[in-house]
Amino acid sequence: MPEVGLYYYTLGITVGIWMILVMGQNIITGYAGQISLGHAAFFGVGAYASAVLSTTYGVVFWLALPASVLITAVVGALLGSVSLRLRHDFLAITTIGINFVVVSVFLYSEYFGGSLGIGGIPLPRAMGVVFTKPLYLGLVVAALGLAAAADRLLKRSWLGLSLEAIREEETAAAASGLNVSALKITAFAVGTGYAGLAGSLYAHFMTFISPHDFAFPVSITILCMAVLGGLGTLRGALVGALLLGLAPELFRFLRDYRMLTYGALLVLLMRYLPSGLLGDASPLWQRLITRPRGVRGGVAYGGAVDPPGL
Amino acid sequence: MIGFWQQLINGVTVGSTYALIALGLAMVYGVLRILHIAHAGVFTLGAYVGLVLHARTASLPTAFLGAMLACGVAGVLIQRWLYRPLLNQPRIVPLIASIGLFIFMEDLFRLLAGPYVLAFRLDAEVRPLEIAGAAVTGVQVMTLIVTAVLLGAVWLLVGKTWLGLGWRAAAQDLGMAAAVGVNAHRVVALNFAFGSAVAGAAGVLIGALYNAVYPTMGSVPAYKALAVIVLGGLGNVWGTVVAGVLLGLVETFLVGIVGGLLPRDSIAFVALILMLLFRPTGLFGER
Amino acid sequence: MRSTLGRLTVMAALLMVVVAVPAALGQVPTIKIGFFAPLTGPAAPDGTSSRNGAQMAVDEINAAGGVLGRPLGLVVYDDRLSASEAVAIAHRLIERDRVVAVVAGSYSGPTRATAPIFQSAGIPTVAAYAVHPDITKAGDYVFRNSFLGTIQGKAGAYLAARILNAKTASILVMDIDFGRALASGFRTQAAAYGLRIVSEDTYPLGEKEFAPLLTKIKGLNPDVIYATAYFAEAAQIVRQAKALGITSRIIGQEGYDSPKFLELAGPAAEGVIITTNLNRDDTRPVAQQFLGRYKARFGIDADMVGASSYDAVRIIAAAIEKAGVVSPPRIRDQIYRIANFDGVTGIIRGYNKLGEVLKTVQVQIVREGRFRYFAVIDDPAVITPPTE
Repeated sequence: MPEVGLYYYTLGITVGIWMILVMGQNIITGYAGQISLGHAAFFGVGAYASAVLSTTYGVVFWLALPASVLITAVVGALLGSVSLRLRHDFLAITTIGINFVVVSVFLYSEYFGGSLGIGGIPLPRAMGVVFTKPLYLGLVVAALGLAAAADRLLKRSWLGLSLEAIREEETAAAASGLNVSALKITAFAVGTGYAGLAGSLYAHFMTFISPHDFAFPVSITILCMAVLGGLGTLRGALVGALLLGLAPELFRFLRDYRMLTYGALLVLLMRYLPSGLLGDASPLWQRLITRPRGVRGGVAYGGAVDPPGL
Repeated sequence: MIGFWQQLINGVTVGSTYALIALGLAMVYGVLRILHIAHAGVFTLGAYVGLVLHARTASLPTAFLGAMLACGVAGVLIQRWLYRPLLNQPRIVPLIASIGLFIFMEDLFRLLAGPYVLAFRLDAEVRPLEIAGAAVTGVQVMTLIVTAVLLGAVWLLVGKTWLGLGWRAAAQDLGMAAAVGVNAHRVVALNFAFGSAVAGAAGVLIGALYNAVYPTMGSVPAYKALAVIVLGGLGNVWGTVVAGVLLGLVETFLVGIVGGLLPRDSIAFVALILMLLFRPTGLFGER
Repeated sequence: MRSTLGRLTVMAALLMVVVAVPAALGQVPTIKIGFFAPLTGPAAPDGTSSRNGAQMAVDEINAAGGVLGRPLGLVVYDDRLSASEAVAIAHRLIERDRVVAVVAGSYSGPTRATAPIFQSAGIPTVAAYAVHPDITKAGDYVFRNSFLGTIQGKAGAYLAARILNAKTASILVMDIDFGRALASGFRTQAAAYGLRIVSEDTYPLGEKEFAPLLTKIKGLNPDVIYATAYFAEAAQIVRQAKALGITSRIIGQEGYDSPKFLELAGPAAEGVIITTNLNRDDTRPVAQQFLGRYKARFGIDADMVGASSYDAVRIIAAAIEKAGVVSPPRIRDQIYRIANFDGVTGIIRGYNKLGEVLKTVQVQIVREGRFRYFAVIDDPAVITPPTE
């Protein structure tokens, strides 16, 4: 029988996975300033790693998950080391290319199930309990919490500070003795590791995956989420993923005009609020942080109280 | 060796359409350093305008000129309204705006013209040829001729006129160009107009070549043209043209000889990644 | 502050209108049937055809008095061809819209992702044209109204070897599950008939440039080219083959079955033969009425996708009528009992225990720019679907 609320659990899980993905994108693009348009490729690497490990080799979820994070991070570090040779726009276009090539590899090799994808990916179990939707949401929330904590740690540590130095001025950072190369590679490894985590969670939630799930448009969505929320901030990553992750559902009432609205929204936002909703330079965020606390209690400054019901 | 000549002609035709789409993109990148994804939306606009005009007037030149005009105007509008205010923002801002505009345009075409593929049949109007035993369709002949004419026009404009001088100055340094008396905004606008008009012509050609005009026809060119402009050395117009034609040839011969090892559309990116490993500034160097 | 609050109020009021108005209008409670398809993006043409077919069936049934005296309501969602979006839609259909049955008007990816969800919720689901074999394996609530790819592939080999007496064949494989399944069915049955396969090449979905592959095939000069494709790719294949002067007969499948194929391929389509489940020369009134009404309403000739979605709705409606109550398990039981149903896509003999349809394969040929009757395949060795 249908349990009421599975719809909300599903939305929660989906948004949670988006949030982890966008956090990873934010580390690479927001903190380290490297434009990557291929994040979905790493999402796919994580998902396929986890799927192959658990279906072909019978590895349990609790091992497959960290293993796929590790595998993805290693692949990401490799990309990071290649990216050192490339300037901004070359890197952006190359990452698009990586997305296409990775999807082609999934599509054209029997090992990865080819165009049929991989099915029968088991749900996680622990002590005889199968992680169906409510429990799986708990798992995603836990992963999300860990990822967010790691993000804070990263940002506060010397790594976070120096990554920002790279973004601001590469040569100056190099001159001041920071090892720019090592930092960039670390950013790529960590950011893609997040994508690997999201991929593993996605694979075991959907229980089947196919190459199309990780195609270039998914990368665009992830990047848009990060920029919409406000690049370079954790809150921006989370809010961007929440809003655009729910957008397909929120915009349903628009029916035939949904994608049109989505495109228009991106254009208008970049045109009039280029630092995203909650970026450090966003007027909206400035307003939010400078407004006196009293407002929340219903008493506005200046003595003017809004009439109720208006 | 019928197969060889046939594949050569196939490859050059496909390659020249890549060159035309990428040419406009390279021109835009040359002066503004923006990855203009919505260029592919302009290209699709050209295909639809050409299709409608051809259906109304039955005149091929009208279809081409109308499409080029419409796309030129669209390009200028995009530059004026969207990109100009974003020039001082981080590069990711115009990039996302451009992606958003492309999504918007694709869906607008779907709403206006319907989701179905529309036929754009010109087979009857242009005569096929046979060269060395290889069949060349009329539309292929037309593609080669139009490409040659447009490339010639670009060559004249860039190399022989004050406009070209302005472009080159702007490509070097926008601020500097303004300082020495070049009207930078007008130069950039003309650049957009011309690059978009070429994309419009490419839209008509590809619509006719594959007899198919549809809302998402720009998706593949959107990213393949990016690969082509990198292969040609970002912003290097002639490098881009050569890279486009070469890519068409490589794709055709690889698929024809080796078969489908990888999807044809990912060959561009495999080439791109290989090249960047060995020549990080493109086949012909960056300008 | 004031304006923000004001705007919020207006929005909330609007939202309430949107939610409340439809609820107030429904006098007799409608029987809700869920539907999802890719209505935007690259697969929008098929999604739109599918929705058109399903909506037309619902409207016709309602015009004739509905089912059990109640009107049918089609709850339509756009899945954008995304499996994860389809999963959310499935839960929404089950929990919020409380549909009693579902027509899946999407491709294999979204349909396969949602099948286990409808199965575990006990909602009978008919996949209109998705071909992945795993879909019906989700369980006893999931049915398929189109042929499995492998069956159509076998039918293609039967057509080539037994009807056209071909000795050699080249295969073009579209690299998605549909193309792969077709090619594997063709290969198996070709071996049984002694049909020699001289080449097999793969191309990606959305490919437009086939000249490199076709030039190679021209050199091999096979009797037939078994080209798996959807209509857009199919039109390019036959046009480019014609332009290259290839004389081998091209055999297609239901993916070609669209007026758009005929329009895009033009004269090059002449003589192309396809296996499908819609016979344009079918004299049964149900088929001729459907073809006429569809054209009149949507301004475009009906295709197999629309026809199959139309049938899917009618089968569900017939099952509800027979069940006598609006109860998902009873509807499922009645779908299993359907026999010799007069569908637009042929006489549906029934569904096997896996939920796979049993019907004859139609063979159509393009003559003077139209699909015409060529043959029908009812050899049990070809058309019997697998039971596991």
